[in-house]
Amino acid sequence: MNLSVPNIVILIVIGLLGVGTYALLTVRNLIKVVVALQIMVKAAMLALVLAGRLQGQENLGQSLALTVIVADTIVAVVGLALAVQVRRVVGTLDLSALTTLRR
Amino acid sequence: MAMTWLTLTIGLPWLGALVIWLAGDRDEKFTHLLAVAFSVAAGVAALLLLPYGKERLVYSLPIGGVFGDFTFVVDGLGVFLAAIATVVGSLAVIFSVDYMHGEGQLPRYYAFVLFFIGGMAGLVLTSNLLLMFFFWEITALCSYALISFHNDDPKAVAGGIKALIITQLGGIGLLAGALLLYAYTGSNDFHVLLENPAILPAGVLAWMGFGCLIAAAAKSAQFPFQTWLPDAMEAPTPISALIHAATMVNAGVYLLARFYPAFAGVPGWREAVMIVGMLSALLAAVMAMIATDLKRVLAYSTISQLGFMVYAVGAGGVFASQFHLLSHSVFKALLFLAAGAVIHSVGTRDMRRMGGLGKDMPVTRAVFVIGGLALAGIPIFNGFWSKELILEAGLHENPLWLYVLMVFVAGLTAFYTVRMISMVFYGEAHSERHVHDAGNAMKVALLPLAIGSLTTWLLAGPFGHLLAESLPAHHLEVHSTLAVVEEVITAPATYLALGVVAVGWLTGWRRQRLSRVGQALNGVGKAAAESFGFEAINRGVVNATQKLAEALRVTQPGLLNWNVFAILCALLILLASLAVGGR
Amino acid sequence: MLHLVTAVGILVCAIQAIRSRRLIVSALWLAGTSALVALELYLLGAPEIGVIELSVGAGLVTVLFVFAINLTGEEAADLKGLIKEPLAVVMSVLAIVLLGVLLVPGIDRAGPSVGEPALKVVLWGNRQMDVFLQAVLVFCGVLGVLGLLSERESTPAEHSLSEDGE
Repeated sequence: MNLSVPNIVILIVIGLLGVGTYALLTVRNLIKVVVALQIMVKAAMLALVLAGRLQGQENLGQSLALTVIVADTIVAVVGLALAVQVRRVVGTLDLSALTTLRR
Repeated sequence: MAMTWLTLTIGLPWLGALVIWLAGDRDEKFTHLLAVAFSVAAGVAALLLLPYGKERLVYSLPIGGVFGDFTFVVDGLGVFLAAIATVVGSLAVIFSVDYMHGEGQLPRYYAFVLFFIGGMAGLVLTSNLLLMFFFWEITALCSYALISFHNDDPKAVAGGIKALIITQLGGIGLLAGALLLYAYTGSNDFHVLLENPAILPAGVLAWMGFGCLIAAAAKSAQFPFQTWLPDAMEAPTPISALIHAATMVNAGVYLLARFYPAFAGVPGWREAVMIVGMLSALLAAVMAMIATDLKRVLAYSTISQLGFMVYAVGAGGVFASQFHLLSHSVFKALLFLAAGAVIHSVGTRDMRRMGGLGKDMPVTRAVFVIGGLALAGIPIFNGFWSKELILEAGLHENPLWLYVLMVFVAGLTAFYTVRMISMVFYGEAHSERHVHDAGNAMKVALLPLAIGSLTTWLLAGPFGHLLAESLPAHHLEVHSTLAVVEEVITAPATYLALGVVAVGWLTGWRRQRLSRVGQALNGVGKAAAESFGFEAINRGVVNATQKLAEALRVTQPGLLNWNVFAILCALLILLASLAVGGR
Repeated sequence: MLHLVTAVGILVCAIQAIRSRRLIVSALWLAGTSALVALELYLLGAPEIGVIELSVGAGLVTVLFVFAINLTGEEAADLKGLIKEPLAVVMSVLAIVLLGVLLVPGIDRAGPSVGEPALKVVLWGNRQMDVFLQAVLVFCGVLGVLGLLSERESTPAEHSLSEDGE
C-alpha cells in the first residue's frame, strides 16, 4: 500500500471513526459524548471532501462538507444545552441516570 | 399561481400550528383568533386552488435519489377533498371558539387541529405513495392526540389508543404498497400504476388491491374494524365533526376511489369492496337504531354512510361515491356541530335525558333537522341525490341481493334519524337544567353548513366535469346537473328507495306503538350492543399490540452505550456482508 | 509528507481528547483535532471549508464547550463504562478493519473530472433544499442556546422531572 494522499485521508477518516465509536461505547459523561460525536463528524467531513475530489465533483463535496459543519455545530450546541439542563435537573452528567422514561 | 395556493393550503395550517404552539398558553382570546385566522386563510387558499383542478397540474419537489421526487398533483379529486378539509376545518375551528371557551391547554388543541388540516390537505394532493404514507400517519397521530385531548379521562385515552392502533394497520398496508410499487416501477409515483396496471404482475397487484382494501377499511372504520370510531367519540365534538365525520375517515374511501382504475380488474376485488361496504352500512345502521348516546348514534351513522361510499366504489360508481362524500361531509359536520351545541348546553350525551329541547333551541333544532333530512335521504336535500346515484350504480350489472340490502339500509337510516331527532328535540323534557341556544360563533359555523346541505347537490354537474376531466384513468361518465336530476327522477328505482325510506321514517315516528315488535327483536338489539362480536376482535388486536410493545421494552434499556452497541452490531453485519458478497 | 504529519497529529489529538480525564483538557484536545482537520482540508484543496472549520469548529465550538463545562462543573470521577472494556475494543477494531478492507483498495483511482459550476452556484443553486433545512437547523440551534442559558425556574416540566429524580 503506497501512502498517496487519498490513502492517508481515508486512514484519518477510518481512524477518527474508530476512536469515536470506541468513545461512544465506553464514555458515560454527557459532555464527553458530545466530544465523541464531534470527532466522528470530522471524519464525515473529510470523507465528503475526499469523495468529491475522487469523483471530480470537488465543489459538490465541499458544499456538502459545509452543510456538515453547520449541522455539527448545531449538534454541539443542542447537545451541550441538554447536558447543562440534565446537570441542573438530575444533578449529574452520568448517562445511566437518564433512564426515567423507562418507568 | 396554483403552486402558491397549493403551498398555502398545506403550509398555512402548519405554520399556524407552529405559531400557536410557540405563542403558548397566555391569552385565550388571542389563541382563538390565531386559530381562526390561519384556518380560514387556508380555506380560502384551497377554494382558490379549486379552479385549477381541471388542468391537472403537476409539481415536483426534487428530493434526491432515494425517495424519488415529492410530487403534488392538482386534480379534481385532490382539490375537492382539500377544500372540504380546510373549509370544514375552519368552520370547526370557528365553532370551537364557543365550544372550547374556558378550556385549559387550548394551544395544544388548536395546534393539533391545524396540523391535522394541513396533513389532510397534503394526503389528498400528493401523488407520491411514500409521501402519502407520511401524511396518512400525520392524520392518524393528530386524530389520536385529539381523541385523547382530555388526557385525565381514562376513557378518552383508551379510545385514542384504540383508534391509533387500528388505523396503524392501514398505515402498514400503505407502506407495504409503497415499497412494492417502488420495487417494481422504480418510483413511488402511483400515476404510472393507474395509467397502466399491467406494470405489476397480477399476483402482486392482487396483494396490493386487497391490502389497499384493508388499509381503507381500517382508516374509514369499515367492517371488521368499525369499532374504533364510536370509541373515538370521547373527543371534543368539533373534532368529531372535523376528523371523524368530514375528513379523516374519508381517507379510506379516497384511497379506494383513487386506486380504482388499478384494482378494478383484479378478480374478486370489486365484489369484496361492495361486500365490505354493505356489511358496514348494515351492521352500523342496526347499532345506530339502539344506541342511546347521541354522539355514538352519529358515529354509527357515519360508518353506515361510509359503507354506502365504499359500496359505490366497488359497484363502479366512483363519481357517485365522491358525490356522496361531499354531501355527507357537509350534512354530517352539520349534525355533529349541532349535536355539540346540544351537548354543550345540556351537559350530557345521553339522549334519554334529553327531549323537548326544540322549544329552547330553535336554531339548533332547525339546522339539526335539515341535517337529519339530508342523512335520511329525503328529496331536495343533498343526501337524497347522492344516495340515489349510489343505489343506481348498484343496479348497474352488480349483484341484486347487495342492492336490495342497501335499499333496506336506506330505510333503517330514516328510522334511526327520526328516532334521534324526536328523542332529542321533541317529546317531554327529561332534564331540569336550563338550556340555551347555540352561541354566536356556533351559529356562524352552523349556518353555512345548513345552507350547504340544501344546495350542494346543485354542483353535481360542475363537480362531475371537474373529476372527469382531471382523472383520465378513471373513465368517468358524467352529465350536467339537470341531466343528473332527470336521471334520478325518472328512474323507477328512486321511488322504490323513497318508499322504503318513507316506511322507515313512519316506523321511526310511531316506534312507541311497535314496542312489541321491538321486544321480538331483542336478541338482535343485544348483539348490536356488543357490535356483533367484532368489538371483541378489535379489543384483541389492541391488547395484543400493547402486550407486544410491553414485551419489547426489554430491548430499550435507555442507556446510550448499549444503543450504540446495537447500532454498531447492525453496521458490522452490513459491512461484513458487503465485504464477503463482493462490492 | 505534510499530509502524514497532519494525519498522525489528528489521530493523536482525537485519542487524547477521549483519554483525558478532565473535561476542559478534553475540549482543548478536540480543538486541536479540529484545527488539524482544517489544515488537512486546506491541503486537500478546500481552503474555504478549511477556514470555516477553523473558525467554527476550533473556535466557536470550543468556546461553547468551555462555557458548558463552566456551567456544569468538572465531574472528574471517571465512571466505568457500562460495556466491558475488551468488548468495546474488539467491536471498534472490527469496525476499523472492515472499513479498511472495504475502502482502502481502489481508493486511489481518481475519477474523470466532471466540469461543474463554482462552489457558490452548487451551494445556493443546486442544493436549495439543503440550505433551507440548514436555516431550520440554525433555528434549532438558537433554541438550544436559549436552553443553555435559561435559569432553573424556567419551565414547570423541569420541576416535575426534578421531583421524580430525587
